[in-house]
Amino acid sequence: MRVDGQVAAFHGIRDAETAGIAVITQEFALVDELSVAENIFLGRAPRRGLCVDWLAMHQRAAALLQDFGLAIPPETPVRALGIGQKQLIEIVRAMDKKSRILVLDEPTAALTEQEVEVLLTHLRRLRAQGTTCIYISHKLDEVFAIADRITILRDGSTIATLAAKEATIPLVIKHMVGREITDLFPRKAGRTEAGPAGAALTVRQLDVARAKGQPPFLRGISFELRAGEVLGFGGLMGAGRTELLMHLFGAWGHRIGGEVLLGGQPHAHPTPGASIRRGLVLASEDRRRYGLVIAQTIGFNLSLSSLKEFTRFGWKIDAAAEHVRNQHFFTSLRVKAPSQHTRAGALSGGNQQKVVLGKALMTGPSVVMLDEPTRGIDVGAKLEVYELINRLTAEGEAVILVSSELPELMGMSDRIIMLHEGAMGGEFDRAAFSQEKLLAAAMGQAHAA
Amino acid sequence: MKARALLKNFAMPLALLAIFVFFTLWLDRDALLRRPGASFVFLSPRNLSHLLVEFSNTAVLALGMFMIILTGNIDLSVGSGAGMIGGIGAVLVSQQGWSAPAAMLAGLGVALVLWFLMGALIVKQRIPSFIITLGGMQIFKGVFWRVINNSTIDIRSGGRDNLFSDIATYSLPAGRGEFLCVAALAIYAWILWRARRARVALGLAVEPPRNPGLKWGVAALAGFGLVAVCNNFKGLPAALLILAATAIVVYFLTQHTPFGRYLYAIGGNEEAAVLSGINVDRVIIGAFVFMGATAGLTGYMITSYQGTSSTTVGGLMELDAIAACVIGGTALKGGRGTVWGVLFGALIMTSLLNGMTLIPVEEWVNYVARGTVLVLAVWLDVRLGRD
Repeated sequence: MRVDGQVAAFHGIRDAETAGIAVITQEFALVDELSVAENIFLGRAPRRGLCVDWLAMHQRAAALLQDFGLAIPPETPVRALGIGQKQLIEIVRAMDKKSRILVLDEPTAALTEQEVEVLLTHLRRLRAQGTTCIYISHKLDEVFAIADRITILRDGSTIATLAAKEATIPLVIKHMVGREITDLFPRKAGRTEAGPAGAALTVRQLDVARAKGQPPFLRGISFELRAGEVLGFGGLMGAGRTELLMHLFGAWGHRIGGEVLLGGQPHAHPTPGASIRRGLVLASEDRRRYGLVIAQTIGFNLSLSSLKEFTRFGWKIDAAAEHVRNQHFFTSLRVKAPSQHTRAGALSGGNQQKVVLGKALMTGPSVVMLDEPTRGIDVGAKLEVYELINRLTAEGEAVILVSSELPELMGMSDRIIMLHEGAMGGEFDRAAFSQEKLLAAAMGQAHAA
Repeated sequence: MKARALLKNFAMPLALLAIFVFFTLWLDRDALLRRPGASFVFLSPRNLSHLLVEFSNTAVLALGMFMIILTGNIDLSVGSGAGMIGGIGAVLVSQQGWSAPAAMLAGLGVALVLWFLMGALIVKQRIPSFIITLGGMQIFKGVFWRVINNSTIDIRSGGRDNLFSDIATYSLPAGRGEFLCVAALAIYAWILWRARRARVALGLAVEPPRNPGLKWGVAALAGFGLVAVCNNFKGLPAALLILAATAIVVYFLTQHTPFGRYLYAIGGNEEAAVLSGINVDRVIIGAFVFMGATAGLTGYMITSYQGTSSTTVGGLMELDAIAACVIGGTALKGGRGTVWGVLFGALIMTSLLNGMTLIPVEEWVNYVARGTVLVLAVWLDVRLGRD
C-alpha cells in the first residue's frame, strides 16, 4: 500500500491519521454522553497547561460547524442528535484532523434521503477543496451521484474499475453479481388461498406507548394481513415502523388500546417466546445487536429459537437431529461459509442476514416480519432475500416487509402502508404505487398529493 | 500461529505441571534424593488426598459460579452463603437434635429459596447481580454469625459420625475405588464410541481412532493413578465423587440442553437472546437456583472438612470460585467457557494454596501469590485469545 507514492505500513489508527487518512464507519465512533465539541476534539482537546481550554474548544467547534452549515450549538450532547447529524459530526471531526483521504464505509445506511443529499453536498465541496474520498456503498444511485471512478469488489477481489461517466447501473450490478440481472425486484404473487381462511394477522386501532404512563407513540394502527401476501411498511426514519414490528412481536412498548389477532385468536400480551410459538417471527434490522450471538457458530444461531423441537425427554438436545436441520437451512439459504461450525461473527453482512432469517424460518412461522432485510448487504444477497420472500408467500406464509428504500418496497410488496409519526399515513394497493404518492403519505400529506 | 494455538490449548496443564514441579522440588527434595529419614510431604498420599478434597470443595462451588458467569452475571455471596448453610445444618444437628439428612435437606431448601429470591430480584427489579450478591454476601455473613452465635458448633451429635460429618471426610474402602474406576472407564468408552458412530451416521469427518483412544488412555491412567494414590492413604474421598457427579450434571446441562444453550446465548448477546424467544429471566433465575444448590453442598463439604462450623468457614471462598472460572478461560462478560477449564482452574488454585500451606509461607505471601496467578492467567488468556 502506498500513500502519496510512499510505501505505507500502518501499525495502528494513529499512524493512518498522521498520514492524513480518516475512516468513517457504519457504526458510530461518537461518545453519546459528551458534547458535540468534546466529540470533535476527542483525544486532542486544546489545552492550556494541564486544563482543557474549553473556550477555545467551543469557539473552534462552532467555526467548524458553521463551515459545514450545521446549526448545532457545540455544547449539545451528542445523544440529542439525529443519526444524520451524528454522521455529519463524524465527518466534521475527520476534516478537522486535516485528513486528505476520507474513507466512508456505508455512511448513509441510516440516513433519510434529505440527509443523504446534505452529506453528498458536503462531500462534493470537500472534493472541490482537494480531499480524496473513498465512498463504500451498496446504494448505487448514491455511488453514481458522487463518484468519479467506481471499483467493484466481489468475494474479496477487485472485479473492475470503471469511470463513472462510462458505467451504467446494470453494468455495475453485473460485475457485482457476476451475471446479468434482468429483474431487480422479482416479486411473484403468493398463494393467498394456500393459507387458512381469514386474515393471518389483524390489527385494530392499536395505540402503543414507549412505556407505561407515557403518551401513545403509535396511534390508531389498523390493518389486515392475508396469507400469501407481502404487506410493505414505509415511512421516514422515526415514523414507528420498527417499533410497530417489535411491539407486535412482544419486545417493545406498552399497549394502551386496540386489538391484535394472530390467526384469528387474540394476541393480547405478546412476548417473543409466545409469538414464536404461535407462528409470528421477526428478523430484526440490527443483526449484530438483536439478531446474532456472534461469538457462537452458525449452527448455534440457526437453531437457537427452535431448540425445544430437538429435545428428547424434554431435556436433552438430539444433536444429530439438530445438525441435520441446521444443515438443511445452511444449504438452502446458501450461506457462504466453510461449514455450519463457522463463527457467525466471521460472516459478511449478507450471510449474517441469511443466518438471522434461517433462525426465524426454522421455527415454522405463518407470519414473517422482515425489518430492513436487505440493509447493508450486496445485490446478490438482496436477490436471494427477494426470492426467499417469494418462496414464503408461495407456500402460503404472510410477510410484513419494512424498508427505507422505496424502489424495493414498491417492487416487493403487494400492498403498502406508509407510517407518518406513529400513525397511518396512507394505504396503497399495488396498482396505486407511485414514489410521489408514497412520499407524500410518509410526510403526512396523503390527501394533498 | 500453530505454536500459539498449542500454547493456548496446553497453557493450563503446563501451569499445573509447573506448580507441582515447583512444590515437589521445594518440599520433597530430600525424599527425591533418597536422603535417610526424609519422606515426601507434598507428594505424599496423605497430602494428595487432602488436596483432592480441597479441590472438590472449591470446584463444586466454581461449577455453580460457572453457570452464573456464562450469563454475564456474578455471585459474590456464595462464600458466606456456603458458611451460613453449613452453620444452619450444624446448629440443627447438634443443638436441635435433627438427624443429619433432615438438617441438610432443610439447609438446602433454605439455600434454594434464598438464591431464587436473589435471582428474581436481579432480573425483575433490574438490579445488577454484583450489587444484589454483594448485599447477600454481607447479610449471609451476619445471619451466619447470629445462627452459630459467634461460637464453634460441632457437626456431630454425641460424638458419633453422621452423613454431615462424613461428606468430606469419608473415603471409599480399597476395592470399591477400583470398581468405580473400571465402571466409569467403561461408560466413558461407550460414550466416545457412540459419539463417533453418530458422526459417521451424519457423514461428518471423524478423527483418526487414535485420538479418542488417547483420550481414553489418559483418563484410564489418571483414574487408576488417583485410586492407587488414595488407597495408600484412606481411599478414594467421597468428596471427589460429589464433584464428579456435579461436574457431569453441569456438563450435561451446559452442553446438551436448551437451558445450557440459553446460558451461552444470554452471555453472548442478551438482546438477541430475548428476540430469539428465550425467557431470559427464567434462565437466569434457574442459574441462580442451581448456584444455591452448589453453595449449600459446598457449605456442607467445607464445614465437614473443618469438622466444626465457625465464623471463618467459607470466608472469601467466592473469590476462589470466580478465580477458578476465570483461570479456566471463562469470560467474565459471559458467553464463553467450558467445564473442563473450570475444573483445571480450580485444581490450579487449590494446588497453589495447598503447597503454600505446607511450606509454610506467611499469610501475605499467600495472598500475593494467589492474586498474581489470577492476573497472569487472565493476561495470558487475553494475549492468546486474540485472533
